[in-house]
Amino acid sequence: MEPDNLVLQPRDVRFDWSALPMHWVPDEPVATHVMNVLHLLLPEGERWFVRTFQQAVPLISDDTLREDVLGFIGQEAVHAEAHSEVLDHLLANGLDPRPFTRQMEHVFGRILGPRAGLTASQAREQLIERVAIVAAVEHFTAYLGDWMLNADALDRAGIHPVMLDLLRWHAAEEVEHRSVAYDLMCHLDRRYVRRARTMLLVAPVLFWLWVRGARFMVRADKSTKARLTWRETMRAGRRGLLPRLSEIFRAFLRYFHPAYHPKQEGSTSQAIAYLASSPAAREAH
Amino acid sequence: MLGTQILDGLTRFGSLYDAAVTRFGGRARPGAARDALWLDVVERAQVADGVVSLRFGGPALPAWQPGCHVDLHLPSGLRRQYSLCGDPGEDTYRIAVREVATGSREVQALRVGDRIQVRGPRNAFPFAGLGPVVFVAGGIGITPILPMVHAAARQDLDWRLVYCGRSTAAMPFLDELPLGRVDVRIGRGEPLLAGASPGGAVYCCGPATMLDQVRAEFSSRWLHFERFSPPPIVDGRPFTVELRRSGVSLEVPADRSALDVISDVRPSVAYSCRQGFCGTCDVGGVRICVDRPTGDRLVLEEL
Repeated sequence: MEPDNLVLQPRDVRFDWSALPMHWVPDEPVATHVMNVLHLLLPEGERWFVRTFQQAVPLISDDTLREDVLGFIGQEAVHAEAHSEVLDHLLANGLDPRPFTRQMEHVFGRILGPRAGLTASQAREQLIERVAIVAAVEHFTAYLGDWMLNADALDRAGIHPVMLDLLRWHAAEEVEHRSVAYDLMCHLDRRYVRRARTMLLVAPVLFWLWVRGARFMVRADKSTKARLTWRETMRAGRRGLLPRLSEIFRAFLRYFHPAYHPKQEGSTSQAIAYLASSPAAREAH
Repeated sequence: MLGTQILDGLTRFGSLYDAAVTRFGGRARPGAARDALWLDVVERAQVADGVVSLRFGGPALPAWQPGCHVDLHLPSGLRRQYSLCGDPGEDTYRIAVREVATGSREVQALRVGDRIQVRGPRNAFPFAGLGPVVFVAGGIGITPILPMVHAAARQDLDWRLVYCGRSTAAMPFLDELPLGRVDVRIGRGEPLLAGASPGGAVYCCGPATMLDQVRAEFSSRWLHFERFSPPPIVDGRPFTVELRRSGVSLEVPADRSALDVISDVRPSVAYSCRQGFCGTCDVGGVRICVDRPTGDRLVLEEL
């Protein structure tokens, strides 16, 4: 019996990064940096989710959905801060992420922000479009969350325990709130065309940002000679240290199925079980 | 890294995309809001000293899972949450209410045939269904635990229940517990988690002191407890909050937050944790869910 109708609440988690090595997947600089892209993209990306959803709250006419959205906003806000602390740690250890994160500020602040000079109804359409963009991104975060909770290879590879807890706590909350953005989009606009076109926009941009981010991280890391290559990334995928591209592509296609709903991705039971065992989440009251 | 050219290109693309969507994208077609549930009291029973159980019926009740609660919208305007303690397979909702204050007295005063607005069910205490599992319940805290115990028994999990209370007369549902490893205790002198498996789960619902004891003894794998709303404000002083942009001043009493008072008049104000850590309700550096002024006036420019 899968639990449903969860009350979403942010958790006041703390992580201690003082002992985090540069290559927190031991001897796997490429896998480490491909996952480090999360820390590059998420703080600005999730702050943008928060702003977008804050603007959308007044449009919601369903009390339960409004509660879900408020819980979602709080969880995303805490995610952004938690990932941003990893960036501070990287900076203190000689890897300066700011050339990249400054550009993310531009992407999420300017390009995806509200626009001046729109009529009220145009502004509303633009806001709903951005909600739909968040829903498309959240499909991938739910997919990645589910992958992360099941990636036993990460445990076997001896990944740093605090980083593993951050990634899986985040993964579990993504699975926990995976329906909210989609439900909000459908509440504001249930047309298939909105869902499909925003996914077509999001998928290539996200992929491209990820490749750029990973390349930036590998280059900025002076402690390794490793280079980001397809072969290296595929190898890490085969070993289970990264999600496989073919699987990500299948997840992308699932979003276009007329009967798609985020509940079909991942397992709520598994997410709440992880949260009940996560050192950080268990300590957070 | 992204070059400036690429960023400029992206910016132009973003503007074109927005222009296309807002001009030619068509109008959004909103989905429907869920209807409120109006349910009838179909059964009322005294199930222990000071504890009344109520069963609600209505057409097509939404499905629920162990750990779910409903919100009752009482005729006085109060809202109270109660765990569902019946069987998810039944076509009615059952709650049990201990008399503690105004809200619970009003619920206990409901009679068969009364109609009441209900919202939910919602789950703040989900049951993951993994064993071995120890359930720890204190008094009325048995209500969310009871359906979990039945689910565990049905799934043949390795389970045990430690159920504590002041006296057996004050402990509801002793007669409904499934046969198995049930440990009914008067008082809480003994360790609660003796015999809990290191690879198992613990579910606890009871007073705060009981959860503290469980946390102190816990050495298993999964700890589940219900997350409660923020603690009451105890040492607050009343103040006035001035919303500059709207030109409104509101009085905030000692036991409420600025957010509580503002959301009464503006239900769309965004907040989330209500404990000051997530920052969702931040207005110009003030977290209105917890912050109070040192003087008697708080000015919010942007609201």
